[in-house]
Amino acid sequence: MDMNRMEMNRREFLINAAAVGGGLAIGITWSDESSAAFVNPEPWAQPLIPGTVEFTPWVSIGKDNIVTVRVTSPDLGNGIMTQFAMTLTEELNCDWSKVRAEYAPANRNLKEKNVYSQPGGILGYFSGRSTGPERTASLLQVGASARERLKEAAAQSWGVPRAEVEAKNSVVSHKKSGKKLTYGEIAEKAAVIKLDSEPKPKDAKDWWFLGKASPVKLQLPLITNGSAVYGIDVKLPDMVYAALMQSPVHGGKLKSYDFEKVKNMPGVRGVAVVDPSEPRAALDPKIVPFPLGLSAPQSAIAVIADHYWQAKKALEAMPMEWDDGPGAQWKNDAQVVKAAKDALDREGKKIEVTRGKPLELLDKQAKVVEGTYYTPYCDHVTMEPLNGTCKVTADRVDVWHPSQHSQQGLFVTAHETGVAPENVYVHQTWVGGGFGRRVYSDDIRMVAAVAKKFPGRPVKVIWSREESMRQGRFRALEAAKLRAGLGADGMPVAFHVRSTGGPGKSVRYLADGPHASGMIENVQVESDIIPLNILTGPYRGPGYNSNSFFIETFFDECAVAAGIDPMEYRLKLFAKWPDKGWTKCLNEVKTKARWGRKLPKGWGQGVAIVNWGMGGKPEHGTTVAAVATVEVSKQGVLRIDSIDIAFDTGRIANRDAIAAQIEGGVIFGLNMALNEQLTVENGRIVEGNYHEYPMLRIGDMPKRINVHYGGLSGHERMAEIGEPPVGAVGPAVGNAIFKATGKRVRAMPFRLQDLSWT
Amino acid sequence: MAVDLNINGKRQSVDVDPSTPLLWVLRDNLGMTGTKYGCGIAQCGACTVHIDGVATRSCQVPAQAAANKQITTIEGLSKDNNHPLQKVWIEGNVAQCGYCQSGMLMAAAALLKKNPNPTDADIDAQVSNICRCGTYPRVRAAIHKAAKMAKA
Ligand code: FES
Ligand code: FES
Repeated sequence: MDMNRMEMNRREFLINAAAVGGGLAIGITWSDESSAAFVNPEPWAQPLIPGTVEFTPWVSIGKDNIVTVRVTSPDLGNGIMTQFAMTLTEELNCDWSKVRAEYAPANRNLKEKNVYSQPGGILGYFSGRSTGPERTASLLQVGASARERLKEAAAQSWGVPRAEVEAKNSVVSHKKSGKKLTYGEIAEKAAVIKLDSEPKPKDAKDWWFLGKASPVKLQLPLITNGSAVYGIDVKLPDMVYAALMQSPVHGGKLKSYDFEKVKNMPGVRGVAVVDPSEPRAALDPKIVPFPLGLSAPQSAIAVIADHYWQAKKALEAMPMEWDDGPGAQWKNDAQVVKAAKDALDREGKKIEVTRGKPLELLDKQAKVVEGTYYTPYCDHVTMEPLNGTCKVTADRVDVWHPSQHSQQGLFVTAHETGVAPENVYVHQTWVGGGFGRRVYSDDIRMVAAVAKKFPGRPVKVIWSREESMRQGRFRALEAAKLRAGLGADGMPVAFHVRSTGGPGKSVRYLADGPHASGMIENVQVESDIIPLNILTGPYRGPGYNSNSFFIETFFDECAVAAGIDPMEYRLKLFAKWPDKGWTKCLNEVKTKARWGRKLPKGWGQGVAIVNWGMGGKPEHGTTVAAVATVEVSKQGVLRIDSIDIAFDTGRIANRDAIAAQIEGGVIFGLNMALNEQLTVENGRIVEGNYHEYPMLRIGDMPKRINVHYGGLSGHERMAEIGEPPVGAVGPAVGNAIFKATGKRVRAMPFRLQDLSWT
Repeated sequence: MAVDLNINGKRQSVDVDPSTPLLWVLRDNLGMTGTKYGCGIAQCGACTVHIDGVATRSCQVPAQAAANKQITTIEGLSKDNNHPLQKVWIEGNVAQCGYCQSGMLMAAAALLKKNPNPTDADIDAQVSNICRCGTYPRVRAAIHKAAKMAKA
């Protein structure tokens, strides 16, 4: 195909941008690849083979009848690639076995004027919000628009009206004449069709695939045979390896090192020093999704060798000294915890919410309830330790990376290397867990910072597990004091919250949950930050994962003070909240967990209900209710019998994918509540590996994790499910422990609490 | 120094410091990256391979100690995902991020070989790998299902 024809096609095939919300369009490629693969072991976009014509960014249909859908958000195990493919299939009516997904290159997005994202918007390439409503609407439109073009092209070649042409299973057909063509056969013609108006995607109630089919994740066969290429698995010609050490005290500086001592060790090639004070490139902050400061480099040193083991051995053997800086003032964890709790005695510097007359009314009520709560630093401990591979040359940088935001990664790499963003190529690999850790792209920066000192060859930088754990961007430490004045009926009249913690802590759900958004008339929420040096970042359900524990433990205490059953107390409380999903969820877990049934001594049930993403509004975000049924031995050994979950995302698309995410989220939440804690000594993180940071294993699982669907309100939103369960589990278990033992757990992790009873 | 390794039925000689952990020899020297690094201290099981049929955490095995033994890695579990465990793993949508799963599969395969009908307690004892994504309920269900399939 010649250039002119190609240009013409490109122009003509672009669908009216207004119709598809932000310039989405469909396109066609020619490809001789076999149709067997649904997704490649190397999931980044494959180069176009000669003779390929591509019109538009999101969807291609090859001559081989394979539909390729391009995905911006990395699939971290949440099934987003599958979700993209399913959404497209719903309207394109293609054969599910003929759909293939690959990642949409961030570089292409930049060069083609943000075809995949809003400039500076965070969501285009963000992982986590797997069923974002805008994305779903766009893809449905793309599918419908492509389908109608395929039908029109067939109608024209057959000389029949489009209304008589059917598009199904990747075949267009005309019933009366018996004519048939595959999508691949008619795709070229469809590329130049103009429609008078774009078709409207069908109503959700008429969906045949979404919400009906539960296909497994496309990448499963690559996982089960070990062929999926994660960041740490990338293989490139000429590649060398780097082992990394950053300042053990966050914010400290490398004072001296002696490379001479190790340079003759086997395989050693060189040393790279990362100096945060070196000037970095200028970059327009408006085009970068997250502020570049969030990925600021730490002072670091890396040894480069032919193999990782050689690099690691040499790094360990190399003498080095660090200047710890002000972070070293934090001598031990007790000092840190005390600083946070002491700050609760002062009015918070920031008043986040104030409504009615909380302070005046609170102490005048029949009963006053007060509790102080605490959650420690936690690391994401993604199973794949941090890593990345980067090749820097004067005018081009390539990075192969397990990113949670390859677009952010692109800009961070440009900023770090000084190579123009247009010449930075981020190849998104499979990701061995994210949970928020790989969003800000401090990891990709460190990779580029090391690789730029060793230009011309791909350098694979690997954080050891210890390095990965101690150099996290942790869930922030947080303490809170909650107070409520209960009226004569035992229900809260006034509610007062103070929260403190290190930089990075947030008041999400404390300040925008129903309690602070109108359900209780008199409310004040204050917050304050204390000057800890430890670096923090988003961790599955940021802010919410601590604050939901505080709120739901506290309201349990209110129920007890009021002498009302905790389930009834919540039903009464949320009866006032204009989102019926909440009581629906509560009633669902109440019935399904057989709430209130007679249990043996030492057993107890606890309930919690929270919402992720509501932002102060009813019928927003995902509501999750949990009932935990637990047994605590007299010696204080906790065993979790079952967790029952009900949830309201509005609607759902893939039942089994939802169940998998809820199970995973429940276990993540359990691990957080029961086990996780990082502590500080002389400004350093103490724990470095799993023997010090225990993880639940298969034998520690509850007997049953039951996912119930009866909480769904059917509201038109389709909210996310990855993060929400994390907040509900801890308080449900804590409240169950109280019921079983009479002991109230007000701090995580529970494993450090004395739960024994007599 | 050359170390002779027999991996997935193929003999090969690798020029490597004999104290290098088998994990890194597989990954870096031989490019067999299905076997994963998770902790390096025998805690997580991501690096599990079979050595003479026994599930072994390869981060703890110096290459030399594995010389001339039969090593099976995830790449050698089957040719085309046709091991019963791989089949039920796919059907059951077991994996999330997938990073821990080669180790899980190798631990489960060794268990089933020794004990074709494992109880929950057997699984708890033999498949103690860490999965951060929380796939444990599906791992357990899949192992039971594979055991049942083998009997049928
Ligand atoms: S890497 Fe070997 S057990 Fe974790
Ligand atoms: S599936 Fe992600 S760590 Fe197990």
